[in-house]
Amino acid sequence: MARLANLETEYPVLDSTVRNFCASHGIFSVEDFLIHDLYMLAAFAEQNNSSERLKEGIAQVLSVIDDMHQPWLNGMELLEDAKRNKHVFPTGIQGIDLLLGGGIRVGQLTELVGPSSSGKTQVCLRTASNVARNHMVLYLDTGNSFSPQRIAYFLGKTINPSSAQAKNQFLQKVMSNISCHSVFDIFAMFDVLHQLESYLRCQDGRGGCQMRLLIVDSISSLISPVLGSSSTQGRALMTSAGYLLKKLAHQHNLAVLIINHTVGGEGGYSKPALGDSWKCIPHSRLFLSCDRGSNNYNVSILRHPSMASGKAARFVI
Amino acid sequence: MEIWRLPISASQRGKLISAGYTSLSSLSSISSSDLARELKVSESEAMNILKVASHSRGSETSNASCSIVEGAQSAWDMLHDEESLMHITTSSADLDNILGGGIHCKEVTEIGWSSLSLIVNSVLKYKLTTAFGSESIIFMLIGGVPGIGKTQLGIQVAVNVQIPNDFGGLGGKAIYIACIEDMSEYNRFLRKDFQECKIKMLPQDILENIFYFRICSYTEQIALINYLDKFLSEHKDVKVIVVDSVTFHFRQDFDDMALRTRVLSGMALKLMNLAKRFSLAVVLLNQVTTKHTEASFQLALALASAAYSVTARGIRNSSSSCKRIKMM
Repeated sequence: MARLANLETEYPVLDSTVRNFCASHGIFSVEDFLIHDLYMLAAFAEQNNSSERLKEGIAQVLSVIDDMHQPWLNGMELLEDAKRNKHVFPTGIQGIDLLLGGGIRVGQLTELVGPSSSGKTQVCLRTASNVARNHMVLYLDTGNSFSPQRIAYFLGKTINPSSAQAKNQFLQKVMSNISCHSVFDIFAMFDVLHQLESYLRCQDGRGGCQMRLLIVDSISSLISPVLGSSSTQGRALMTSAGYLLKKLAHQHNLAVLIINHTVGGEGGYSKPALGDSWKCIPHSRLFLSCDRGSNNYNVSILRHPSMASGKAARFVI
Repeated sequence: MEIWRLPISASQRGKLISAGYTSLSSLSSISSSDLARELKVSESEAMNILKVASHSRGSETSNASCSIVEGAQSAWDMLHDEESLMHITTSSADLDNILGGGIHCKEVTEIGWSSLSLIVNSVLKYKLTTAFGSESIIFMLIGGVPGIGKTQLGIQVAVNVQIPNDFGGLGGKAIYIACIEDMSEYNRFLRKDFQECKIKMLPQDILENIFYFRICSYTEQIALINYLDKFLSEHKDVKVIVVDSVTFHFRQDFDDMALRTRVLSGMALKLMNLAKRFSLAVVLLNQVTTKHTEASFQLALALASAAYSVTARGIRNSSSSCKRIKMM
């Protein structure tokens, strides 16, 4: 949303007379234009001396605004897009794949919630190792919890190599598809997501191995330090992070997996962190927990676009 | 509203928005003196704002073709890096076994200790940990009732990090941040040395290599963690940071629970950042508290629900002679 002064180079009709007129009504940028009553503005323009020019200026700004919104799509186009692009990636963990009807879906934001040591990072590592066989993966790590040994272990379990050298080559090929980046505050994460956006825009044009999975472990540790203080910036950052992730997922056909932790709730039950404003942002939410003293984990659906919430399953890592 | 995403102060942001600058592109073609005049701020502030804005814009355009984002590493490279990582031994073979060789650098470790043996199945937890192989433990947080021996472990680690490379150690220095007044710790430092009879080091040398900070309030703690960045750039041979009772100043008389959560999670992220950037190990000592859940009392690490990013936690049981560790 540019300032009107900056638009003059592109659209010469927005010269100083138009801008002075707008400034007299408190309009300095295109955004201010949107929140003003345009009929009143047009009426004032009529009464002014150079009314023709002012009306041209107003029409120009309106056409600039028109160019900015997303194109309209109808149901058939959405269905075509879903069939062609929005596949399902199996996580490699049988219990979770059965529960979700295949795995995590491209174009959606899936959240894993759970108390500490409930297997969230392990599920992410397993999914990354599975998807990396054919696609590229970006793992954003906030707690130094990315473990390449674990990825190598998961990959080693699934193949039956003829020789150590073949196994090494396979590991190298797959693990080179996984990129890991450490971010320790939310502004760094926004930087990385912007770089990723420009990378994906170039990627959409060419073929080859494409990036299809983004993991953020964990988004709650990035948001908690800024949330809840007296200013509202924390919540704005949280919502814009959520929308940016969803936009990346839909426009560039990524599956996005994020991790959230839990806090104490009413009656001693733990509930997901980040509060009610975050609750409706992820498309699907899965609650993980671990049986004390064993390798068995439980997963239940808190929210999913096409499955009933409350369905549960067990799995073993 | 991309201005939200810039790391600038709230008042500067408010001034930018009320002057009509709501996106990064609007800041692209203005000079710092014009901006200073419009926002009514000093020229240096305006220059700062423009620098921050152009940095976040520049990161969009300068995209290296080889990596997706700047600073990312592929998993294959990380696997090879990790194999060359050194461990700091805790001088206890069993504890070292559970931790996968000792306390790892680039990681923060938390262990809890208690004197009640309510918690069972430490053996199963041990099996779980070994099934993970040499699991990289990031944050080591040691929790326990005061006096049970967690300070012992902290001091032992601060001494052991100085073992020279020839003997399998790291040959580095240590930072010890203490919240609890205990002058007898100095004696303990000296006594520890006599166990390392193979290494010809004088007690004074060992003490010289430990940087001791004493903090008296939570604001000092936050300030110190922020200062450590500069300190570590000057003293590159520091290999471990031990924080005695990271949550001590937050437990009594701290009214604002939300502030506590925010500060602790922010502190954890900063320590994690230091651990990664300077390749050092961070050991946090904590206290345990009892948690009343479902009509039974269970031990839990103090402020564990303020879940700051901890990868490995353990609670140590000691009942007379037998000492067990439970990892959480």
